[in-house]
Amino acid sequence: MKYDLEVGDPRTVARVINMAHRFQCRATRVDSHSTAELTKAHFEFAGDTAQLERLRAQIDRIVQFEKIFVS
Amino acid sequence: MIPAISPRPRTGGDAVLEALEREGVDVIFGYPGGTIMPFYDALYGHPMRHILVRHEAGAAFAAGGYARTSGRVGVCCATSGPGATNLVTGLVDAMMDSIPLVAITGQVRTALMGTDGFQEADVCAITQCTTKASLLVTDPAQIYTKVREAFALARSGRPGPVLVDIPTDVLKAPYVPEQSAPRKTRDVRPVASRESIVAAADAIRTAHRPVAIAGGGVRDPKAVAAFREFCALLGLPHTTTICGLGASDPNDVHGLGMLGMHGTKAANLTVHTADVVLAFGMRFDDRVTGRPDRFAKDATIVHCDIDATEFNKIIPTRVPMHGDAGETIKSIVAELKTAHLPRFDDWAVQAKALGGPLPSDDAKDGHLSATDFLDQLVAALPPKSIVCTDVGQHQMWAAQRVKPNTPRDFCTSAGLGSMGFGFPSAIGACFANPGRPVFAIVGDGGFQMTMPELATVKRYQVPVKIVLIDNRNLGMVRQWQELFYDERYSATNLSDNPDFCTIASAYDIESFRISGPEDAPSTLKAFLEYSGPALLHVSCYPDELVWPMIPSGGVVEDLMESKA
Repeated sequence: MKYDLEVGDPRTVARVINMAHRFQCRATRVDSHSTAELTKAHFEFAGDTAQLERLRAQIDRIVQFEKIFVS
Repeated sequence: MIPAISPRPRTGGDAVLEALEREGVDVIFGYPGGTIMPFYDALYGHPMRHILVRHEAGAAFAAGGYARTSGRVGVCCATSGPGATNLVTGLVDAMMDSIPLVAITGQVRTALMGTDGFQEADVCAITQCTTKASLLVTDPAQIYTKVREAFALARSGRPGPVLVDIPTDVLKAPYVPEQSAPRKTRDVRPVASRESIVAAADAIRTAHRPVAIAGGGVRDPKAVAAFREFCALLGLPHTTTICGLGASDPNDVHGLGMLGMHGTKAANLTVHTADVVLAFGMRFDDRVTGRPDRFAKDATIVHCDIDATEFNKIIPTRVPMHGDAGETIKSIVAELKTAHLPRFDDWAVQAKALGGPLPSDDAKDGHLSATDFLDQLVAALPPKSIVCTDVGQHQMWAAQRVKPNTPRDFCTSAGLGSMGFGFPSAIGACFANPGRPVFAIVGDGGFQMTMPELATVKRYQVPVKIVLIDNRNLGMVRQWQELFYDERYSATNLSDNPDFCTIASAYDIESFRISGPEDAPSTLKAFLEYSGPALLHVSCYPDELVWPMIPSGGVVEDLMESKA
């Protein structure tokens, strides 16, 4: 499963990797680039299909947390 | 001559306090320490109410009780390191049950961070996966923004806890007024699609044996009203999770009580035999479903939740409705009213008949049965009472018996099941609901985890009534040892408990003692009539178990009503 992330908080990358571990999936590739304002990351995960779907939903949820702010 | 005292220079601590005031905060539960001292210095003489607890865990649980019973954001604060880590259980508890909480923690000064400084803990990292967000403030000019964001996030969508960690040099720094217009926030409230509403209405119209379930997502009064109207309109049998207790109209005869491991037989059998399950604001916790592949296995699952990650997480959902429970129910009702409106009264009567009275063990040798006592207590509770519980057998007995008027009138650590929660959460409930009777029903194990909060009760004359169900055991663990571990009672015996009334007396708190069935009515009456904080020690038969019970990972056919 691939996931491209854009968030303000660079620590989200670590949070996602930890979450993958908890869902018994593996982050097989992580590319991340951060500026002061924006972090872009590309993830590739391996694991059980159902668990990967749960992981995707949870990452969506974390990303959603930042969307309550509109500049 | 007394020298003139120059005004104290304003600091980042004042900015935090102002930001909290702007969010409408009226009370903070906390405990001071080194790095958060500038904040406490700002609090000195300030009208903001600060409640000094005796352990930071008490602060987080009290803030949780405040939030759970009011719907407002609970606020707690602590110093860095051990102060912050002691808050963590309360934060996880809030995350599990979707409770809005903001925790303010001091941190070592910026230059010391990462050096293993005195009382340094990376609390942002520790709480990253157990809060909606953990925010570190490194610039005094960002204090307002971060606090504002924390509150917006705690309240938005599916509520939850947010931690704001502030290094002591930022708290000490000269006060910086809000620098720029704050980022606007919008509450992320998804609206269930028209397609899903129509699909839900169709499922209801074609159903023969539908059942509705309300969870913690039906706590809001508008959602409660919508759920009750929905059930009444259709003559629908309905049940609740422990977080949804109180969502059901107490006068609706089709209410089946609580669902799950210690839920009613009627609720569990009805869900098991249903052809349509309408689940609102609940997450199919394993204590509700038992073995998930056998849960409501013949039913079409219609699931409404504000958090899309809950769909298909445990139980496959046929009709997911991504939206606020109250608004979604209103939309379903509106859709149903456009055509033939089905009624399910006959099925609801059958559903109710699937159950029976709550089973309980008989007490022996003249001992008092905890369930008999709780029946007496519940019957005597004053109007508008709020009941907070700790975790264990007494929690389940209370959940089976208390009939709260709304979900906010029953406060319990459901998802995390955190012992020590009950007593401090009741303190928080008292501050959120002045004038209302608040009861903390606790066990002898959990009470001893946060018992020093008796000092908090004494200092502020918190009018909490503590009902201590003492069976001299860690009863729920013991119950599992009895039923599933060949009666090998490992580390559950508390027969050397202290004299709790003497302890209450040491804190100058009134206490009452029930030693046997004959004492119960008169002593309970005296306890209830006593004005002010009080502890009622109830010595109970130690071998009483919680019935009914579906063993963990079991199915409804495994439901036990007695040990035999």
